[in-house]
Amino acid sequence: MRTSEFARFAAPSAVLMLMLLALPLAITLWLSVRQCTPLLEMATVVQTGPFGTETITTQRARFDQIGRPIESCEVVGLANYRQILGHDSADAGSEQRNEFWEALKFTLLYTLSTTPAILVGGLTLALAVNLVTQRLKGVVIAASLLPFIITPVVGALAIKWMFRDSGLVPHLLGQVGLHVFWMAEAWSARLLIILYGIWHVLPFAFIVFYAGLQSVPQDSLEAATLDGASSWQKLRFVTLPHLAPLVVFVTLIHVMDAYRVFEPVLVLTQGAFTASVQYLTYYILMQENNPFKASAAAVLTVLGIAVLLVPLLRKTWREQRKGF
Amino acid sequence: MQPSTAASSRRSASAAVWIAYAVVAAWLALSSIPVLWTTLISLRSYVDAFSAPLKWIAPVTWEHYARLWVDQRFYVNFGNTAVVTVSVVTISLTVGCLAGYALARFRGSIGFWLLIVALVFRALPHSTLLPSFLAMFDAVGLRDTMLSLVLVLVAINQPFTIWMLRAFFAGIPQDLDDAAMVDGCTRLQAFRRVIVPVMWPGIITTGLFSFLLAYNDFLISSALTNADRMTMPAAIAGSIHAESEALLMQGIAGAVSITVPLIILVAIFQRQIVSGLTQGAVKG
Repeated sequence: MRTSEFARFAAPSAVLMLMLLALPLAITLWLSVRQCTPLLEMATVVQTGPFGTETITTQRARFDQIGRPIESCEVVGLANYRQILGHDSADAGSEQRNEFWEALKFTLLYTLSTTPAILVGGLTLALAVNLVTQRLKGVVIAASLLPFIITPVVGALAIKWMFRDSGLVPHLLGQVGLHVFWMAEAWSARLLIILYGIWHVLPFAFIVFYAGLQSVPQDSLEAATLDGASSWQKLRFVTLPHLAPLVVFVTLIHVMDAYRVFEPVLVLTQGAFTASVQYLTYYILMQENNPFKASAAAVLTVLGIAVLLVPLLRKTWREQRKGF
Repeated sequence: MQPSTAASSRRSASAAVWIAYAVVAAWLALSSIPVLWTTLISLRSYVDAFSAPLKWIAPVTWEHYARLWVDQRFYVNFGNTAVVTVSVVTISLTVGCLAGYALARFRGSIGFWLLIVALVFRALPHSTLLPSFLAMFDAVGLRDTMLSLVLVLVAINQPFTIWMLRAFFAGIPQDLDDAAMVDGCTRLQAFRRVIVPVMWPGIITTGLFSFLLAYNDFLISSALTNADRMTMPAAIAGSIHAESEALLMQGIAGAVSITVPLIILVAIFQRQIVSGLTQGAVKG
């Protein structure tokens, strides 16, 4: 294919990504060093009430012809970053809270605890499904897909309703004498988010490993049997090495997705106990209504994922380079 | 092999099969109970849905579905979701097929760079783009429109789409293009009349994942749209922290309503979804 042909075919996709991914990223960087405040003016208001007429001098926002508040914008450098990292000198005296660090800590906890769980769980399930009769396999795979493809906000809500007071799980745990108010404490809310994450992603690991198990070289397994290897030894020295590249694949995809955990945090903690980095940006933007501080959080988020993903990028780089 | 070892290995093999059935049964329960239980309580009145002690059997009522779909006009949100997902899938596949085909056939470093940049964007948390989206769409007057939502979802979908479609196109022999072009087709005609017809399995698989991304999105939809332009997941956000019983029960009915089309989808396209999930793994 000629370069001019390639350019014509790839242009629509490239332009879309340039305008709606690259450009917004640049704008976020620009917003993160700015701050806009509404211009205030002194106004004299005459109020007529039951106790006579009163003249008050008050501050109010100025509006332009179409009724939008006029804002004055300036470049504030790293002030937004200082605010989000808790180094804001203007806030001195009040409690210094490093919001971003708190969110990052939980995001990493979530990533580091769900990853081994889905790898071990997915592998166990794949080995188990491999042993059951052929007729059951289709049903298991279909049922497994459900947690994975369910709308995340709906899946998290379903978990929340099951763990809610007077819900199914507290009732069952109550039968054995355990009484936990799941959404009322930090540790249990965090545990729920992690449990939801495992429930949601385990099917993905399972299906990838199950597909991998179908291509384990049978003659190696037979040779191992003839040599007197136990089932455990066959698993350890034949099957697992064969699956190793898939473990790497699942880990990398999951790290990307776990880093942006959002819906379960929004649904299960009510924002009270814990935040993830993506939730933090969303919260500052939508609730605090501060796009500049939100942009600073966004830029820090991007820096975090960049650090996590350097190994993946290097691997793909080397592999794809060969193809071109 | 001595008889005693053979017997013990047969015993341990049958023990392994029993454990396997136990693991599979446990997972089937875990994966389906949240959905089944939610469906069950969506058909109950509030006092029966969250009662102490728990009720296993209670009268069935369709009241919450009626409130949601008729009074709350959930069909508007359903329509929005339908419009958004159909548009996103159509545009994603059209734009993505052209780029995926070009990336599979072109041997130059621009193609390599496009793929690497796309991979970086694949890893980007979407919330990092939200402040700019709001500012951009405010500036051009596209805030709170379906058009802006569709464009954003297509763009977010592109990196994944072009990687996947490229892998499928690479599996089609280049001789096919060459033969068509020798017979007088232009490149675009060869693509449309010869390559795309044999690509349908790959296009359907990729389309399913585009559909899931658009259908399941909550973050972008809830930030970019309001009121009558919200998709179904954005519309049930009100029930996340619902205090009122009526709102909570309508949220539960809404959650089930959103899930039913997905269950139908799995039933029909199970094989394509599985092949899509493993396809990336096989390619590495």
